Amino acid sequence: MLNVQNLVKIFNKGSVNEKTALDNISFNLNKGEFVTIIGSNGAGKSSFLNAIAGNFPTDSGTVIISDKNVTTLPQYERAKYISRVYQDPMSGTAASMTIEENLVMALRRGEKRRLKLAIRNKDKDFFRQELRKLGLGLEDRLTTKVSLLSGGQRQALTLLMATFKEPELLLLDEHTAALDPKTAEKVLQLTCDVTRDSNLTTLMITHNLDQALNVGDRTIMMHEGRIILDIHGEQRKTVTINDLLKMFENASGTQFHTDRALFA
Amino acid sequence: MSSLVVLGTTEQGLMYAIMVLGVYLTFRILNYADLTVDGSFTLGAATAATLITSGYNPWFATGVAFILGCLAGSFTGILHTKFKITPLLSGILTMTALYSINLRVMGKANISLLRERTIFSDFESLPYMQEYGVLILAFLTVVIIGFFIYLFLETEFGLALRATGDNELMIRSLGVNTDLMKITGLALSNGLVAFAGSYVAQNQLFADISMGIGMIIIGLASVIIGEVLIGTRTIAKAVLAVLCGGVIYRGIIAIVLQLGLVATDLKLITALIVILALITPQLRSKFSRPLKNV
Repeated sequence: MLNVQNLVKIFNKGSVNEKTALDNISFNLNKGEFVTIIGSNGAGKSSFLNAIAGNFPTDSGTVIISDKNVTTLPQYERAKYISRVYQDPMSGTAASMTIEENLVMALRRGEKRRLKLAIRNKDKDFFRQELRKLGLGLEDRLTTKVSLLSGGQRQALTLLMATFKEPELLLLDEHTAALDPKTAEKVLQLTCDVTRDSNLTTLMITHNLDQALNVGDRTIMMHEGRIILDIHGEQRKTVTINDLLKMFENASGTQFHTDRALFA
Repeated sequence: MSSLVVLGTTEQGLMYAIMVLGVYLTFRILNYADLTVDGSFTLGAATAATLITSGYNPWFATGVAFILGCLAGSFTGILHTKFKITPLLSGILTMTALYSINLRVMGKANISLLRERTIFSDFESLPYMQEYGVLILAFLTVVIIGFFIYLFLETEFGLALRATGDNELMIRSLGVNTDLMKITGLALSNGLVAFAGSYVAQNQLFADISMGIGMIIIGLASVIIGEVLIGTRTIAKAVLAVLCGGVIYRGIIAIVLQLGLVATDLKLITALIVILALITPQLRSKFSRPLKNV
Protein backbone atom coordinates (compact mmCIF):
# COMPACT_ATOMS: atom_id res chain seq x y z
CA MET A 1 0.00 0.00 0.00
CA LEU A 2 2.56 2.52 1.21
CA ASN A 3 6.11 1.93 0.15
CA VAL A 4 8.89 4.26 1.23
CA GLN A 5 12.37 3.67 -0.14
CA ASN A 6 15.58 5.28 1.14
CA LEU A 7 13.86 8.53 2.01
CA VAL A 8 16.19 11.36 3.02
CA LYS A 9 15.34 14.86 4.19
CA ILE A 10 17.95 17.30 5.39
CA PHE A 11 16.84 20.71 6.63
CA ASN A 12 19.10 23.76 6.17
CA LYS A 13 21.51 21.75 4.08
CA GLY A 14 25.03 23.15 4.08
CA SER A 15 24.50 25.55 6.98
CA VAL A 16 25.52 25.29 10.62
CA ASN A 17 21.92 24.42 11.44
CA GLU A 18 21.95 21.41 9.16
CA LYS A 19 19.63 18.75 10.54
CA THR A 20 18.97 15.34 9.10
CA ALA A 21 15.29 14.81 9.75
CA LEU A 22 14.93 11.59 7.77
CA ASP A 23 17.99 9.41 7.46
CA ASN A 24 17.53 6.93 4.65
CA ILE A 25 14.19 5.53 5.78
CA SER A 26 12.69 2.49 4.10
CA PHE A 27 9.30 1.34 5.22
CA ASN A 28 6.51 -0.81 3.92
CA LEU A 29 2.89 -0.71 5.00
CA ASN A 30 0.27 -3.25 4.00
CA LYS A 31 -3.30 -2.43 3.19
CA GLY A 32 -5.45 -2.22 6.32
CA GLU A 33 -2.49 -2.07 8.67
CA PHE A 34 -2.61 0.33 11.63
CA VAL A 35 0.84 1.42 12.74
CA THR A 36 1.64 3.51 15.79
CA ILE A 37 4.81 5.61 15.74
CA ILE A 38 6.72 6.60 18.87
CA GLY A 39 10.00 8.37 19.47
CA SER A 40 11.40 11.27 21.46
CA ASN A 41 11.04 14.87 20.36
CA GLY A 42 12.95 15.59 17.17
CA ALA A 43 13.12 11.92 16.21
CA GLY A 44 11.60 12.71 12.82
CA LYS A 45 8.07 11.39 13.37
CA SER A 46 6.26 14.44 12.08
CA SER A 47 8.81 14.93 9.31
CA PHE A 48 8.10 11.38 8.25
CA LEU A 49 4.37 12.08 7.95
CA ASN A 50 5.07 15.43 6.28
CA ALA A 51 7.30 13.74 3.71
CA ILE A 52 4.59 11.18 2.95
CA ALA A 53 1.93 13.88 2.70
CA GLY A 54 4.14 16.08 0.53
CA ASN A 55 4.47 19.14 2.78
CA PHE A 56 8.02 19.60 1.55
CA PRO A 57 10.20 18.13 -1.21
CA THR A 58 12.54 15.38 -0.04
CA ASP A 59 16.23 15.16 -0.91
CA SER A 60 16.25 11.58 -2.18
CA GLY A 61 14.26 8.36 -2.05
CA THR A 62 10.78 7.50 -3.23
CA VAL A 63 7.26 7.41 -1.81
CA ILE A 64 4.80 5.06 -3.46
CA ILE A 65 1.13 4.95 -2.51
CA SER A 66 -1.06 2.23 -4.04
CA ASP A 67 1.52 1.56 -6.76
CA LYS A 68 1.63 5.22 -7.71
CA ASN A 69 4.90 7.06 -7.34
CA VAL A 70 3.95 10.33 -5.60
CA THR A 71 7.46 11.44 -4.66
CA THR A 72 7.34 14.64 -6.70
CA LEU A 73 3.64 15.42 -6.43
CA PRO A 74 2.75 18.54 -4.41
CA GLN A 75 0.71 18.10 -1.26
CA TYR A 76 -2.61 19.10 -2.81
CA GLU A 77 -2.27 16.45 -5.50
CA ARG A 78 -1.60 13.71 -2.95
CA ALA A 79 -4.82 14.58 -1.15
CA LYS A 80 -6.58 12.07 -3.40
CA TYR A 81 -4.90 9.31 -1.42
CA ILE A 82 -4.18 10.82 1.96
CA SER A 83 -6.24 12.21 4.84
CA ARG A 84 -4.64 13.78 7.82
CA VAL A 85 -5.53 14.87 11.35
CA TYR A 86 -3.16 17.19 13.19
CA GLN A 87 -2.53 17.64 16.88
CA ASP A 88 -4.03 21.13 17.02
CA PRO A 89 -7.84 20.86 16.91
CA MET A 90 -7.93 24.29 15.22
CA SER A 91 -5.92 23.21 12.22
CA GLY A 92 -8.25 20.62 10.74
CA THR A 93 -11.33 22.77 10.16
CA ALA A 94 -12.16 26.22 8.80
CA ALA A 95 -13.49 28.13 11.81
CA SER A 96 -15.46 30.81 9.99
CA MET A 97 -17.38 28.25 7.95
CA THR A 98 -20.28 26.06 9.00
CA ILE A 99 -20.16 22.38 9.92
CA GLU A 100 -21.83 21.37 6.67
CA GLU A 101 -19.49 23.55 4.61
CA ASN A 102 -16.50 21.94 6.26
CA LEU A 103 -17.94 18.49 5.68
CA VAL A 104 -18.69 19.10 2.03
CA MET A 105 -15.15 20.34 1.43
CA ALA A 106 -13.86 17.10 2.90
CA LEU A 107 -16.31 15.10 0.83
CA ARG A 108 -14.70 16.60 -2.29
CA ARG A 109 -11.18 15.78 -1.11
CA GLY A 110 -8.88 15.36 -4.09
CA GLU A 111 -11.58 16.31 -6.60
CA LYS A 112 -11.70 19.31 -8.87
CA ARG A 113 -13.69 22.17 -7.32
CA ARG A 114 -16.43 23.13 -9.72
CA LEU A 115 -18.65 26.15 -10.15
CA LYS A 116 -21.76 24.44 -8.89
CA LEU A 117 -23.56 24.88 -5.61
CA ALA A 118 -21.56 23.00 -3.02
CA ILE A 119 -24.24 21.62 -0.71
CA ARG A 120 -27.26 19.67 -1.91
CA ASN A 121 -30.07 18.24 0.19
CA LYS A 122 -28.95 14.66 -0.19
CA ASP A 123 -25.57 15.68 1.19
CA LYS A 124 -27.26 17.05 4.29
CA ASP A 125 -28.95 13.73 5.04
CA PHE A 126 -25.65 11.97 4.65
CA PHE A 127 -23.92 14.48 6.93
CA ARG A 128 -26.56 14.09 9.63
CA GLN A 129 -26.23 10.34 9.50
CA GLU A 130 -22.42 10.51 9.76
CA LEU A 131 -22.44 13.14 12.51
CA ARG A 132 -24.84 11.03 14.54
CA LYS A 133 -22.11 8.39 14.80
CA LEU A 134 -19.96 10.86 16.76
CA GLY A 135 -22.60 11.02 19.45
CA LEU A 136 -21.99 14.72 20.07
CA GLY A 137 -25.33 16.10 18.93
CA LEU A 138 -23.70 17.85 15.99
CA GLU A 139 -26.24 16.34 13.57
CA ASP A 140 -28.70 19.09 14.54
CA ARG A 141 -26.19 21.86 14.09
CA LEU A 142 -25.23 21.63 10.42
CA THR A 143 -25.30 25.39 9.92
CA THR A 144 -23.38 26.24 13.09
CA LYS A 145 -20.02 27.87 12.53
CA VAL A 146 -17.16 25.62 13.57
CA SER A 147 -15.63 28.42 15.66
CA LEU A 148 -18.45 27.83 18.17
CA LEU A 149 -17.42 24.21 18.80
CA SER A 150 -15.09 23.01 21.55
CA GLY A 151 -11.65 21.60 20.78
CA GLY A 152 -12.85 18.04 21.27
CA GLN A 153 -15.87 18.55 19.02
CA ARG A 154 -13.65 20.08 16.38
CA GLN A 155 -11.19 17.21 16.54
CA ALA A 156 -14.00 14.64 16.30
CA LEU A 157 -15.34 16.56 13.31
CA THR A 158 -11.88 16.62 11.74
CA LEU A 159 -11.58 12.87 12.21
CA LEU A 160 -14.94 12.37 10.54
CA MET A 161 -13.87 14.65 7.68
CA ALA A 162 -10.67 12.66 7.28
CA THR A 163 -12.37 9.30 7.14
CA PHE A 164 -15.93 9.46 5.76
CA LYS A 165 -14.58 9.60 2.26
CA GLU A 166 -12.25 6.68 2.78
CA PRO A 167 -8.61 7.60 2.17
CA GLU A 168 -6.01 5.10 0.97
CA LEU A 169 -3.87 6.28 3.84
CA LEU A 170 -4.82 8.00 7.09
CA LEU A 171 -2.16 10.03 8.90
CA LEU A 172 -2.76 10.91 12.55
CA ASP A 173 -0.25 13.28 14.11
CA GLU A 174 -0.77 13.05 17.88
CA HIS A 175 -4.36 13.89 17.21
CA THR A 176 -5.52 13.32 20.79
CA ALA A 177 -2.60 15.02 22.58
CA ALA A 178 -4.19 18.45 22.88
CA LEU A 179 -7.49 17.19 24.30
CA ASP A 180 -8.54 16.60 27.88
CA PRO A 181 -8.27 12.94 28.94
CA LYS A 182 -11.95 12.13 28.60
CA THR A 183 -12.30 13.73 25.18
CA ALA A 184 -9.02 12.16 24.09
CA GLU A 185 -10.37 8.77 25.07
CA LYS A 186 -13.53 9.40 23.07
CA VAL A 187 -11.67 10.57 19.96
CA LEU A 188 -9.33 7.59 20.20
CA GLN A 189 -12.30 5.25 20.46
CA LEU A 190 -13.82 6.87 17.37
CA THR A 191 -10.48 6.42 15.62
CA CYS A 192 -10.35 2.72 16.46
CA ASP A 193 -13.97 2.21 15.37
CA VAL A 194 -13.67 3.94 12.05
CA THR A 195 -10.32 2.46 11.08
CA ARG A 196 -11.59 -1.01 11.90
CA ASP A 197 -14.97 -0.60 10.20
CA SER A 198 -13.49 0.80 7.01
CA ASN A 199 -10.27 -1.20 7.20
CA LEU A 200 -8.21 1.98 6.81
CA THR A 201 -4.45 1.91 6.41
CA THR A 202 -3.25 4.17 9.20
CA LEU A 203 -0.10 5.77 10.60
CA MET A 204 -0.53 7.29 14.05
CA ILE A 205 2.06 9.26 15.98
CA THR A 206 1.61 9.10 19.73
CA HIS A 207 3.52 9.98 22.88
CA ASN A 208 1.45 7.60 24.94
CA LEU A 209 3.34 4.30 25.12
CA ASP A 210 0.30 2.46 26.37
CA GLN A 211 -1.60 3.66 23.29
CA ALA A 212 1.37 2.80 21.12
CA LEU A 213 1.19 -0.84 22.15
CA ASN A 214 -2.55 -1.34 22.47
CA VAL A 215 -3.93 0.57 19.53
CA GLY A 216 -3.43 -0.79 16.04
CA ASP A 217 -1.41 -3.82 15.06
CA ARG A 218 2.17 -2.70 14.64
CA THR A 219 4.49 -0.30 16.46
CA ILE A 220 7.55 1.45 15.11
CA MET A 221 10.00 3.57 17.03
CA MET A 222 11.99 6.40 15.49
CA HIS A 223 15.23 7.97 16.61
CA GLU A 224 17.38 10.58 14.86
CA GLY A 225 15.55 10.19 11.59
CA ARG A 226 15.70 6.40 11.48
CA ILE A 227 13.30 3.60 12.32
CA ILE A 228 15.09 1.72 15.10
CA LEU A 229 12.37 -0.67 16.12
CA ASP A 230 9.51 -2.37 14.33
CA ILE A 231 7.35 -4.82 16.31
CA HIS A 232 4.18 -6.58 15.30
CA GLY A 233 2.31 -9.86 15.55
CA GLU A 234 2.87 -12.16 18.52
CA GLN A 235 5.93 -10.27 19.73
CA ARG A 236 3.92 -7.08 20.12
CA LYS A 237 1.30 -8.77 22.27
CA THR A 238 3.84 -9.68 24.94
CA VAL A 239 5.80 -6.43 25.00
CA THR A 240 5.28 -4.13 27.99
CA ILE A 241 6.03 -0.44 28.30
CA ASN A 242 9.17 -1.26 30.26
CA ASP A 243 10.34 -3.62 27.54
CA LEU A 244 9.76 -0.83 25.05
CA LEU A 245 11.88 1.60 27.08
CA LYS A 246 14.68 -0.97 27.35
CA MET A 247 14.53 -1.67 23.65
CA PHE A 248 14.81 2.04 23.02
CA GLU A 249 17.88 2.34 25.23
CA ASN A 250 19.54 -0.63 23.58
CA ALA A 251 18.77 0.48 20.07
CA SER A 252 19.60 4.15 20.46
CA GLY A 253 22.13 4.19 23.27
CA THR A 254 20.26 7.00 25.03
CA GLN A 255 17.42 7.41 27.48
CA PHE A 256 13.89 7.83 26.22
CA HIS A 257 12.45 11.17 27.29
CA THR A 258 9.91 9.54 29.47
CA ASP A 259 8.04 12.16 31.47
CA ARG A 260 5.61 13.11 28.80
CA ALA A 261 5.61 9.67 27.24
CA LEU A 262 4.86 7.71 30.37
CA PHE A 263 2.24 9.90 31.87
CA ALA A 264 0.58 11.10 28.70
CA MET B 1 -29.65 68.01 2.06
CA SER B 2 -31.28 68.61 -1.27
CA SER B 3 -32.82 65.68 -3.06
CA LEU B 4 -30.29 66.16 -5.84
CA VAL B 5 -27.43 65.60 -3.40
CA VAL B 6 -29.16 62.52 -2.00
CA LEU B 7 -29.67 61.13 -5.50
CA GLY B 8 -26.07 61.81 -6.53
CA THR B 9 -24.71 60.32 -3.31
CA THR B 10 -26.76 57.16 -3.70
CA GLU B 11 -25.70 56.73 -7.32
CA GLN B 12 -22.05 57.17 -6.39
CA GLY B 13 -22.45 54.94 -3.35
CA LEU B 14 -23.80 52.10 -5.48
CA MET B 15 -20.86 52.36 -7.88
CA TYR B 16 -18.35 52.42 -5.05
CA ALA B 17 -20.16 49.45 -3.52
CA ILE B 18 -18.93 47.33 -6.42
CA MET B 19 -15.38 48.32 -5.50
CA VAL B 20 -16.12 47.55 -1.84
CA LEU B 21 -17.28 44.07 -2.80
CA GLY B 22 -13.93 43.57 -4.50
CA VAL B 23 -12.07 44.67 -1.38
CA TYR B 24 -14.26 42.32 0.68
CA LEU B 25 -13.17 39.37 -1.47
CA THR B 26 -9.51 39.91 -0.66
CA PHE B 27 -9.63 41.51 2.78
CA ARG B 28 -12.22 39.22 4.35
CA ILE B 29 -12.56 36.13 2.17
CA LEU B 30 -8.87 35.65 1.38
CA ASN B 31 -7.63 37.46 4.51
CA TYR B 32 -5.26 39.39 2.26
CA ALA B 33 -4.76 43.15 2.54
CA ASP B 34 -4.44 43.93 -1.15
CA LEU B 35 -3.15 47.40 -2.04
CA THR B 36 -3.41 46.75 -5.77
CA VAL B 37 -6.87 48.31 -5.45
CA ASP B 38 -5.51 51.89 -5.52
CA GLY B 39 -4.02 51.20 -8.93
CA SER B 40 -6.68 48.97 -10.40
CA PHE B 41 -9.50 51.43 -9.68
CA THR B 42 -7.71 54.06 -11.73
CA LEU B 43 -6.82 51.43 -14.32
CA GLY B 44 -10.51 50.75 -14.87
CA ALA B 45 -11.33 54.44 -15.16
CA ALA B 46 -8.36 55.13 -17.44
CA THR B 47 -9.12 52.19 -19.72
CA ALA B 48 -12.79 53.05 -20.10
CA ALA B 49 -12.13 56.75 -20.65
CA THR B 50 -9.41 56.14 -23.22
CA LEU B 51 -11.42 53.58 -25.17
CA ILE B 52 -14.55 55.73 -25.12
CA THR B 53 -12.75 58.85 -26.34
CA SER B 54 -11.20 56.72 -29.08
CA GLY B 55 -14.69 55.88 -30.27
CA TYR B 56 -15.19 52.44 -28.81
CA ASN B 57 -18.54 51.23 -27.50
CA PRO B 58 -18.78 52.18 -23.78
CA TRP B 59 -20.13 48.74 -22.79
CA PHE B 60 -17.17 47.14 -24.50
CA ALA B 61 -14.86 49.62 -22.75
CA THR B 62 -16.37 48.70 -19.39
CA GLY B 63 -15.80 45.00 -20.10
CA VAL B 64 -12.17 45.64 -21.04
CA ALA B 65 -11.72 47.58 -17.79
CA PHE B 66 -12.91 44.53 -15.86
CA ILE B 67 -10.53 42.20 -17.69
CA LEU B 68 -7.51 44.47 -17.23
CA GLY B 69 -8.38 44.71 -13.54
CA CYS B 70 -8.34 40.91 -13.37
CA LEU B 71 -4.90 40.89 -14.98
CA ALA B 72 -3.58 43.40 -12.45
CA GLY B 73 -4.91 41.27 -9.60
CA SER B 74 -3.41 38.10 -11.06
CA PHE B 75 -0.05 39.84 -11.29
CA THR B 76 -0.16 40.64 -7.57
CA GLY B 77 -1.24 37.06 -6.91
CA ILE B 78 1.63 35.61 -8.91
CA LEU B 79 4.16 37.85 -7.17
CA HIS B 80 2.87 36.61 -3.84
CA THR B 81 2.31 32.91 -4.50
CA LYS B 82 5.02 32.03 -7.01
CA PHE B 83 7.76 34.37 -5.83
CA LYS B 84 6.86 34.46 -2.12
CA ILE B 85 6.72 38.26 -1.87
CA THR B 86 4.65 39.34 1.13
CA PRO B 87 0.99 40.25 0.43
CA LEU B 88 1.46 43.90 1.31
CA LEU B 89 4.56 44.36 -0.81
CA SER B 90 3.10 42.46 -3.77
CA GLY B 91 0.15 44.84 -3.78
CA ILE B 92 2.33 47.93 -3.42
CA LEU B 93 4.56 46.81 -6.30
CA THR B 94 1.62 46.32 -8.65
CA MET B 95 0.02 49.55 -7.49
CA THR B 96 3.23 51.50 -8.16
CA ALA B 97 3.70 49.91 -11.56
CA LEU B 98 0.08 50.67 -12.40
CA TYR B 99 0.59 54.38 -11.79
CA SER B 100 2.94 54.56 -14.77
CA ILE B 101 0.82 52.16 -16.78
CA ASN B 102 -2.29 54.25 -16.17
CA LEU B 103 -0.47 57.36 -17.35
CA ARG B 104 0.59 55.47 -20.46
CA VAL B 105 -2.97 54.32 -21.05
CA MET B 106 -4.39 57.82 -20.70
CA GLY B 107 -1.46 59.65 -22.27
CA LYS B 108 -2.09 62.52 -19.85
CA ALA B 109 -3.13 63.02 -16.24
CA ASN B 110 -6.85 63.31 -16.93
CA ILE B 111 -9.38 62.67 -19.65
CA SER B 112 -12.74 64.37 -19.98
CA LEU B 113 -15.75 62.37 -21.10
CA LEU B 114 -17.94 65.43 -21.59
CA ARG B 115 -20.44 64.89 -24.43
CA GLU B 116 -19.09 61.37 -24.98
CA ARG B 117 -21.34 58.36 -25.23
CA THR B 118 -21.24 56.40 -21.94
CA ILE B 119 -23.17 53.43 -20.58
CA PHE B 120 -25.21 55.96 -18.60
CA SER B 121 -26.07 58.14 -21.60
CA ASP B 122 -27.08 54.94 -23.40
CA PHE B 123 -29.27 53.86 -20.55
CA GLU B 124 -30.83 57.29 -20.05
CA SER B 125 -31.93 57.31 -23.67
CA LEU B 126 -34.20 54.34 -22.98
CA PRO B 127 -37.86 55.17 -22.36
CA TYR B 128 -38.69 56.40 -18.79
CA MET B 129 -35.01 56.38 -17.84
CA GLN B 130 -34.22 60.03 -18.31
CA GLU B 131 -34.55 61.06 -14.69
CA TYR B 132 -33.36 58.08 -12.69
CA GLY B 133 -31.42 56.20 -15.35
CA VAL B 134 -28.06 56.44 -13.59
CA LEU B 135 -29.54 55.32 -10.28
CA ILE B 136 -31.41 52.40 -11.84
CA LEU B 137 -28.47 51.17 -13.89
CA ALA B 138 -26.13 51.40 -10.89
CA PHE B 139 -28.68 49.63 -8.70
CA LEU B 140 -29.29 46.84 -11.21
CA THR B 141 -25.56 46.34 -11.62
CA VAL B 142 -25.02 46.09 -7.88
CA VAL B 143 -27.90 43.64 -7.45
CA ILE B 144 -26.74 41.40 -10.29
CA ILE B 145 -23.08 41.42 -9.28
CA GLY B 146 -23.93 40.98 -5.59
CA PHE B 147 -26.16 38.03 -6.39
CA PHE B 148 -23.57 36.33 -8.56
CA ILE B 149 -20.76 36.85 -6.07
CA TYR B 150 -23.00 35.37 -3.38
CA LEU B 151 -23.75 32.33 -5.56
CA PHE B 152 -20.08 32.03 -6.44
CA LEU B 153 -19.12 31.94 -2.76
CA GLU B 154 -21.57 29.07 -2.22
CA THR B 155 -20.11 26.91 -5.00
CA GLU B 156 -17.50 24.21 -4.47
CA PHE B 157 -14.93 26.62 -5.88
CA GLY B 158 -16.18 29.44 -3.67
CA LEU B 159 -15.98 27.29 -0.56
CA ALA B 160 -12.39 26.40 -1.41
CA LEU B 161 -11.65 30.10 -1.86
CA ARG B 162 -13.12 30.94 1.54
CA ALA B 163 -11.27 28.09 3.20
CA THR B 164 -8.01 29.33 1.66
CA GLY B 165 -8.44 32.57 3.59
CA ASP B 166 -9.54 30.77 6.74
CA ASN B 167 -7.26 27.74 7.03
CA GLU B 168 -4.84 27.31 4.18
CA LEU B 169 -3.16 24.23 5.62
CA MET B 170 -6.47 22.44 5.93
CA ILE B 171 -7.84 23.14 2.48
CA ARG B 172 -4.51 22.28 0.86
CA SER B 173 -4.54 18.92 2.60
CA LEU B 174 -8.01 18.44 1.11
CA GLY B 175 -6.53 18.73 -2.35
CA VAL B 176 -6.94 22.39 -3.27
CA ASN B 177 -4.23 24.34 -5.03
CA THR B 178 -4.27 27.35 -2.73
CA ASP B 179 -1.95 29.39 -4.97
CA LEU B 180 -4.51 29.16 -7.73
CA MET B 181 -7.26 30.15 -5.30
CA LYS B 182 -5.38 33.26 -4.21
CA ILE B 183 -4.60 34.30 -7.77
CA THR B 184 -8.22 33.79 -8.82
CA GLY B 185 -9.53 35.67 -5.79
CA LEU B 186 -7.20 38.60 -6.38
CA ALA B 187 -8.08 38.65 -10.07
CA LEU B 188 -11.82 38.70 -9.44
CA SER B 189 -11.43 41.31 -6.72
CA ASN B 190 -9.40 43.70 -8.85
CA GLY B 191 -11.64 43.03 -11.82
CA LEU B 192 -14.57 44.31 -9.78
CA VAL B 193 -12.55 47.28 -8.56
CA ALA B 194 -11.56 48.27 -12.10
CA PHE B 195 -15.14 47.74 -13.23
CA ALA B 196 -16.28 50.13 -10.48
CA GLY B 197 -13.59 52.59 -11.59
CA SER B 198 -14.96 52.56 -15.12
CA TYR B 199 -18.49 53.22 -13.81
CA VAL B 200 -17.34 56.12 -11.64
CA ALA B 201 -15.40 57.69 -14.52
CA GLN B 202 -18.39 57.43 -16.85
CA ASN B 203 -20.67 58.89 -14.21
CA GLN B 204 -18.48 61.84 -13.23
CA LEU B 205 -17.46 62.24 -16.89
CA PHE B 206 -13.72 62.25 -16.33
CA ALA B 207 -10.88 59.97 -15.41
CA ASP B 208 -8.00 61.24 -13.33
CA ILE B 209 -4.63 59.66 -12.54
CA SER B 210 -5.08 60.25 -8.82
CA MET B 211 -8.68 59.07 -8.45
CA GLY B 212 -7.64 55.72 -6.97
CA ILE B 213 -5.48 57.09 -4.17
CA GLY B 214 -6.73 55.88 -0.80
CA MET B 215 -9.29 53.60 -2.44
CA ILE B 216 -8.21 50.61 -0.33
CA ILE B 217 -8.91 52.55 2.85
CA ILE B 218 -12.32 53.65 1.57
CA GLY B 219 -12.98 50.00 0.75
CA LEU B 220 -11.92 48.81 4.20
CA ALA B 221 -13.95 51.51 5.95
CA SER B 222 -17.02 50.55 3.93
CA VAL B 223 -16.58 46.84 4.60
CA ILE B 224 -16.27 47.49 8.32
CA ILE B 225 -19.21 49.90 8.45
CA GLY B 226 -21.41 47.42 6.63
CA GLU B 227 -20.38 44.51 8.80
CA VAL B 228 -20.99 46.42 12.00
CA LEU B 229 -24.42 47.67 10.94
CA ILE B 230 -25.75 44.58 9.19
CA GLY B 231 -23.70 41.63 10.42
CA THR B 232 -21.95 38.69 8.80
CA ARG B 233 -23.74 35.62 10.07
CA THR B 234 -24.23 34.16 6.63
CA ILE B 235 -22.50 34.81 3.33
CA ALA B 236 -25.66 36.35 1.87
CA LYS B 237 -25.79 38.75 4.79
CA ALA B 238 -22.11 39.56 4.54
CA VAL B 239 -22.37 40.37 0.83
CA LEU B 240 -25.41 42.54 1.49
CA ALA B 241 -23.54 44.18 4.37
CA VAL B 242 -20.51 45.23 2.36
CA LEU B 243 -22.65 46.54 -0.51
CA CYS B 244 -24.69 48.62 1.93
CA GLY B 245 -21.45 49.63 3.64
CA GLY B 246 -20.29 51.17 0.37
CA VAL B 247 -23.45 53.23 0.03
CA ILE B 248 -23.52 54.23 3.71
CA TYR B 249 -19.90 55.34 3.57
CA ARG B 250 -20.76 57.73 0.73
CA GLY B 251 -23.70 58.93 2.78
CA ILE B 252 -21.48 59.68 5.77
CA ILE B 253 -19.04 61.55 3.55
CA ALA B 254 -21.87 63.60 2.04
CA ILE B 255 -23.15 64.54 5.49
CA VAL B 256 -19.69 65.47 6.68
CA LEU B 257 -19.24 67.69 3.65
CA GLN B 258 -22.63 69.31 4.22
CA LEU B 259 -21.54 70.08 7.77
CA GLY B 260 -18.82 72.24 6.29
CA LEU B 261 -15.73 70.08 6.32
CA VAL B 262 -13.45 70.52 3.33
CA ALA B 263 -13.06 67.68 0.84
CA THR B 264 -9.32 67.47 1.41
CA ASP B 265 -9.92 66.27 4.98
CA LEU B 266 -11.87 63.24 3.79
CA LYS B 267 -8.95 60.85 3.65
CA LEU B 268 -8.02 61.71 7.22
CA ILE B 269 -11.57 61.01 8.36
CA THR B 270 -11.68 57.76 6.43
CA ALA B 271 -8.40 56.62 7.94
CA LEU B 272 -9.71 57.49 11.41
CA ILE B 273 -12.83 55.39 10.81
CA VAL B 274 -10.70 52.39 9.85
CA ILE B 275 -8.27 52.88 12.76
CA LEU B 276 -11.17 53.12 15.19
CA ALA B 277 -12.79 49.99 13.80
CA LEU B 278 -9.53 48.05 13.90
CA ILE B 279 -8.53 49.00 17.44
CA THR B 280 -11.96 48.82 19.08
CA PRO B 281 -11.91 45.04 19.75
CA GLN B 282 -8.46 45.29 21.31
CA LEU B 283 -9.32 48.29 23.41
CA ARG B 284 -12.44 46.55 24.58
CA SER B 285 -10.58 43.45 25.77
CA LYS B 286 -7.84 45.55 27.31
CA PHE B 287 -10.19 47.64 29.42
CA SER B 288 -12.77 45.04 30.25
CA ARG B 289 -10.39 42.59 31.90
CA PRO B 290 -7.16 44.12 33.20
CA LEU B 291 -4.36 41.62 33.72
CA LYS B 292 -3.19 41.18 37.28
CA ASN B 293 0.47 41.60 38.05
CA VAL B 294 1.82 38.12 38.54
